Amino acid sequence: MSVQFESVREGDTVLEARGVSRKYGSETILSDVSLRVRAGEVTTIVGPSGSGKTTLLALLALLLEPSSGEIWIGGRNATGLSDSARSRLRNTFFGFIFQSAQLVGSLSVLDNVLLPAILAGKPREKSGAARELLDRLGLGPRATYLPHQLSLGQKRRVAIARALLLGPSVILADEPTNDLDARRASQVADFLLALPSEGYALVLVTHDRALAERAGNRWEIQEGRLTPPEHVPASSLAHFGNRALRTNINGAT
Amino acid sequence: MLRLVVQSLLRRRWQSLATILGVALGAALLMAVFLLYRGFDQGLERGRQRLGADLLVVPSNATVDPDRALFAGSPLSVYMDKKFADLARKVPGVRRVEAQFFTQSLHLECCSIGIETRLIGIEDQVTRRLAGMSPDGRERLEKDEVIVGSELLSGIGRPGALIELLGEIFKLAYRLEATGTSLDYSILMPMASARDLAASSEALKPVWQESGDPHGLISALLIEVEDVGRIKEVGRALEDLGSLKVIRAADTFQRLKRLMGAFVLVLAGAGVLTALGGIAYLFGHFSSVAWDRKGEWALFRALGATRPRMVQLVVGESTLLALGGALVGLPAGYGLYRLAFVRLTAQNAFPFVAPGGVLLTGATLGALVLYALIGFLSAAGPALRVAQLEPALTMAQGDID
Repeated sequence: MSVQFESVREGDTVLEARGVSRKYGSETILSDVSLRVRAGEVTTIVGPSGSGKTTLLALLALLLEPSSGEIWIGGRNATGLSDSARSRLRNTFFGFIFQSAQLVGSLSVLDNVLLPAILAGKPREKSGAARELLDRLGLGPRATYLPHQLSLGQKRRVAIARALLLGPSVILADEPTNDLDARRASQVADFLLALPSEGYALVLVTHDRALAERAGNRWEIQEGRLTPPEHVPASSLAHFGNRALRTNINGAT
Repeated sequence: MLRLVVQSLLRRRWQSLATILGVALGAALLMAVFLLYRGFDQGLERGRQRLGADLLVVPSNATVDPDRALFAGSPLSVYMDKKFADLARKVPGVRRVEAQFFTQSLHLECCSIGIETRLIGIEDQVTRRLAGMSPDGRERLEKDEVIVGSELLSGIGRPGALIELLGEIFKLAYRLEATGTSLDYSILMPMASARDLAASSEALKPVWQESGDPHGLISALLIEVEDVGRIKEVGRALEDLGSLKVIRAADTFQRLKRLMGAFVLVLAGAGVLTALGGIAYLFGHFSSVAWDRKGEWALFRALGATRPRMVQLVVGESTLLALGGALVGLPAGYGLYRLAFVRLTAQNAFPFVAPGGVLLTGATLGALVLYALIGFLSAAGPALRVAQLEPALTMAQGDID
């Protein structure tokens, strides 16, 4: 299922932030952040509301440009790339799972999964893969449904299928179990945490204590500064919530 | 990509339908006005060619509507001595004189089209001039042959077919091309035949008792001058021949053209305003869409849509809406034109030639291209704004379904 860069092997660094900072006006949201994401591993980022988690994810995903520092992808500096090049990387190198499922209401479940392929202009050749993914996620019979006919958990699984469609190297998941009940959250977690074994690099931003504990390799972000796993105390999962981050992103745009 | 565009339009089906209808209105009006204008323009031009004359001379007691006489080809039931043809030929500055003889109106029971059918006696030189409008370039009519207007006797359209007129049998020489005038409902025959027919008709005897032997009469003279700059002078000389009324074709032609021009200007203005309204509406629609659907667009950007692709998406929607409107509006415009055409030709008030298939096809294709362009231009601004959307927006928004 997974389509990786030929040169990438398990343990290779596929995504790296080098001294990345991000400011909104005079406010510094992230300061001198460095992080390596490796193929076949989970990278978990935890932190309280407003600490810069989602901003960091947006920078890693090339959704935002850093104010300073560099983002390296597959051993190449991606900072300052053209918009087209960044778009192509977002399309093929990354798979996104956003906080809310973010499905397009006018498209069927199948077409929502196919969306990255449609935007890349190759929906037909990925149609079979999309159906396979839906089957794998238990959504095969609902391929023709519209999003409003699905439960929250089903929508989240459609979003996961969409993220995996083009066989990205890195899956970026922002609060993937948000709003789900414990059973659904556990199902989603099971699926996501199995992905690294298939060669995917998984970057997980969460304030779900159970998920963070299961995922391991936990980086903590506090007031825009990132602490590596070896320095993160076990008591760090006490702070949750991220509404303030939304405000920051909005302020940037 | 087309799938995204179509699904998006279908999802907002009422909004899309309203937009399509708004665009269709403008397209219908433009198409109808264009076809009417072309039909009139062609009719006028063909009328002028057919006339081939600068002056029309009729008896001074004739009640003549110059427009109808010259361009609608309306025959006049008036008569004057045929000597005026010879006298007119001797007037200095006259190059060519053609005499015509009209009978009273006839009625063909077998082929009635709801208006009167007329017989026109023409000279050989007229037959030669009409040769260009005959299928085989015939320059001469036998005594028992007739030329039939395009709208008459459609059931016996083949040359050689027999036609009975006032008890006499004639053969169809050919059918005239459509002129958009009452000639389309007239039958032309050699001058001598028309006079013989008129003289032998019991029904027409009272006319000849009043006007004299039809063999010595003509109804009108069509005159071409040597120098158009001296047309007034020639006209005065013709009037001096006695009891004649002279109508200048150029004046009437220009006046008709101005009249129709004003009419078309009003309609075209309405059509253009409606089309501009369509552009403004589409622009407003997509400007608002750029804001309302920024969540969806931002998601597309986040998932890898390039800026050009975003432009394609927005412009694609707009172009499809505009083309949809045109596809609905163009047939409606054609229907509107047909309605006006039927009314106009029934009145014979204007010379009018129905545009042919080539013009119709060209107009349709041209309108489709025009509306595709309108769709493109009206959404270009909003599309560029959408393309600038920050993909990070998608990280901060809730569900978009």
